[in-house]
Amino acid sequence: MSRLFVLLIVTAMFFWSCNTVSEKHEASERRIITFENTPASRPYSPAVEAGNMLFVSGQIALDPSTGKLIEGGFEEQTRQTLSNLKAVIERAGYKLEDVVRCTVLLTDINNYTPMNRIYMEFFPSDPPARMAFAVRDLPMGALIEIDAIAVKK
Amino acid sequence: MKRIISAKNAPAAAGPYSHAVEAGGILFVSGQVALDPATGKLINGGIREQTEQALRNIGAILKAAGYSYADVVKSTVLLSNIEDFKTMNEVYSKFFPSDQPARVAYAVKELPLGALIEIEAIAVKSK
Repeated sequence: MSRLFVLLIVTAMFFWSCNTVSEKHEASERRIITFENTPASRPYSPAVEAGNMLFVSGQIALDPSTGKLIEGGFEEQTRQTLSNLKAVIERAGYKLEDVVRCTVLLTDINNYTPMNRIYMEFFPSDPPARMAFAVRDLPMGALIEIDAIAVKK
Repeated sequence: MKRIISAKNAPAAAGPYSHAVEAGGILFVSGQVALDPATGKLINGGIREQTEQALRNIGAILKAAGYSYADVVKSTVLLSNIEDFKTMNEVYSKFFPSDQPARVAYAVKELPLGALIEIEAIAVKSK
């Protein structure tokens, strides 16, 4: 009898704890991060914040003033891409140090080493988790695309 | 604690993965291709039809988990041909008309089942 009572209490506590956990995660503040010159025709936002998490769209080496891919080779594109990523992150009030995860898409896996060298300039210590691979093609003929997830401290 | 989502109105998974998994208030939706939920086969049609079906499948999973398209914060769009980028965008924007999720899009070498497009999503319920 007392064993059954204990079981009932434990079950009740389990469901109570489930409820508190789900309540904690019920809904979070949503913020859309854009720039004055973000084209309305693009069906994605530069970044979306949910609670204290920032989801940053894949960035390519677009010139922020013209919206066109910059002139130059892989190294220039990597620098521009990372600088665009930094701009979106800072626009949202985050820092590069807040990035917890990146995806790096290359069109040529032979660019892996030069990409890493420039990437390290932007993430010099405690770098984020990352996945990198070569794809078939990137939008607008870009050579590199990088997306990110950041979490504010 | 994680919650496994199984949606009646979405095509059965084509492998050892769940339709979606929710953990810590974040819903991770598996990559969806244009499978017909009724037959489990890739639908007939080009990139326009396949984009629509893939997004409908995402919608069915979101709904089963108690979420909606408006809760999507990030998506990944995988294409077989980068030439389909523009048409994909046209269809995609109908499903996400405002406050669009962050996104990454690119063309891969090949997709499962010969699909032209695969889309995955991350959602967080918004206030």
